[in-house]
Amino acid sequence: MRFLQRLNDPQQSHAGADSDSGSGERLQQIRDQGDSLLAAGDDAIQRALAGSNSEAFLRSTRQLGGQ
Amino acid sequence: MTKRSAQNASGFALPKLCGADIELGNFIVGMERIGGTGYDASHALIAEIKGLPLRPSSYFDSYWSAAPAAPKADEDARYESCGPKTNSLYNPQDVSRRFLASTGGSAYIDLNHAELCLPEVVSAYDHLAAWHGMLTIARTALDSANEDRAAGEKIHVLVNNSDGLGHSYGSHLNFLISRRAFDEILFRKAHYLQFLASFQVSSILLSGQGKVGSENGRPDTPYQISQRADFFETLQGAQTTYNRPLVNARDETLCGQLGNDDPSAPARWHVIFFDSALAHGSCLFRVGPMQLVLTLLELGHVNSKLILDDPLHALQLFSHDPTLKSRAALINGQHMTALELQCAFLNEVKRHAAQGVFEGVVPRFEDIIALWEDTLNKFVDNDLMSLAPRLDWVLKLMAIERAMEQSPNLSWDSPQIKVIDHLYSSLDDDGLFRAYEASGFTEQLVTPERIAHFSTNPPSDTRAWTRTMLLRRAIEDRVEVNTVDWDRITFRIKGRHNWPSYRTIAIADPLGFTQAHAESIFDECSDFNDLLDGLESLSVGDSTIHDTVAIN
Repeated sequence: MRFLQRLNDPQQSHAGADSDSGSGERLQQIRDQGDSLLAAGDDAIQRALAGSNSEAFLRSTRQLGGQ
Repeated sequence: MTKRSAQNASGFALPKLCGADIELGNFIVGMERIGGTGYDASHALIAEIKGLPLRPSSYFDSYWSAAPAAPKADEDARYESCGPKTNSLYNPQDVSRRFLASTGGSAYIDLNHAELCLPEVVSAYDHLAAWHGMLTIARTALDSANEDRAAGEKIHVLVNNSDGLGHSYGSHLNFLISRRAFDEILFRKAHYLQFLASFQVSSILLSGQGKVGSENGRPDTPYQISQRADFFETLQGAQTTYNRPLVNARDETLCGQLGNDDPSAPARWHVIFFDSALAHGSCLFRVGPMQLVLTLLELGHVNSKLILDDPLHALQLFSHDPTLKSRAALINGQHMTALELQCAFLNEVKRHAAQGVFEGVVPRFEDIIALWEDTLNKFVDNDLMSLAPRLDWVLKLMAIERAMEQSPNLSWDSPQIKVIDHLYSSLDDDGLFRAYEASGFTEQLVTPERIAHFSTNPPSDTRAWTRTMLLRRAIEDRVEVNTVDWDRITFRIKGRHNWPSYRTIAIADPLGFTQAHAESIFDECSDFNDLLDGLESLSVGDSTIHDTVAIN
């Protein structure tokens, strides 16, 4: 189970009993809406995933420790 | 010192003026260097940001290079005519510093990181706009620097705090507080220190940028809320590059000689705790709630029921659990989640807000409190989709989990996932936050017009306004700017027979020298010496101003 699914799990709601009623349907609506909005980042993600050599990129990020 | 402080029986609360000094991750893909390419990347980037004073690249260059210079563009020539003729001693933590005549901020190189310093602001909302304005400047510099690169090389700039290889770099904030509060937090009242540390530690759910994996010998974790959490190892200390403290004790007032014997005199509270932020909510939550909590500390309103038993341990628990279920012990034996603790701090702030303690101290405190409350309520309701446009760590987590759903072969250990983590904060076109921002997905707490304003203008309500206007006038009048610091500027001015003299103007009061105070002097004085005379007289007169606001 993904982190976000666990966070969204009504069984584990931070709000307790109040949020149980009807929340499943609402959460599904939120997820559906969110999916369409998050699609705005899909191109950027695909470009990142399509990068020729992820391991080389990660090696190149090396920095000196700073403050 | 101009006293616009709120006063009650507990003492004074100074307006919570805020500055920032923020290091960037910078490197060059396509270039190989032992130890990384931060040196090359940071120098190329900073070279594209104009400011004063100009420092010659070496003593030799400044004194012995007799070769005629190539013709310069008009703007470059005006800047260079203001450059000093001497070089300073080399300090690897302060290389090529220049102050920007556009905004009053500064930029320099600190241990191979480009570092961006924001001009002083009073409002947390102005801080947010000034930060994104500074990122606009950095993005333009990045584009220019990349135009000059060799084929196959590309400079990358990440607005994050960790390279994923065990090295961290900071995103520091600075707040104006009273000398008395500074001493009480650090040296006299241990529960004040613990109160502040407990607030900071629980606040990562508002301000964290999110990070894939762990570093610095911490337990493995797929994803954590904070970029910086793994690197804090002690509760309090003055150091910033090793054994990093939750609460930093660096004492540099940058306020000249103001009121050293006065407990209400200014001190600069240096905060190294927070992550860099891009989302407007995260950015605002680094500053606004800190302004409120520091005000409570300054006035002695400290609730000892909100103190964690071990803030360092709690930080690890909270950061490594994005489900927000982990509880940490308080000194009273209770156990709270980060969310519960934040709700308790919010209630404490609201209780005191009703008494008027933030009036005249924290601009738009009602808006900050309302946004804080709305955000915590959304966490309580698990309404994460509403929080993704507001908070970096939630948005990054959603983006990564979406990528993993679309590419089931990827796991948290996949290097591609760490690449997405890094590129979330990229300033370049490949930046994931930039993509969400361009699509309109992210929440806007300040307008694009306000951000554009702060990319070319200083705040009008702090000394940054006079600093900026002095630099602009020096460029216009071709007066040499010898040194610049936050609280003073030294000019080298031609006197009789062209004999040079040096004049230093002190701008010690961070709440003085505002546009309202100084604009008429700039308008009236066409001669540079007259202008400095006028500002000096303003400084003398300003020290007698005491418009204290009585509250409670």
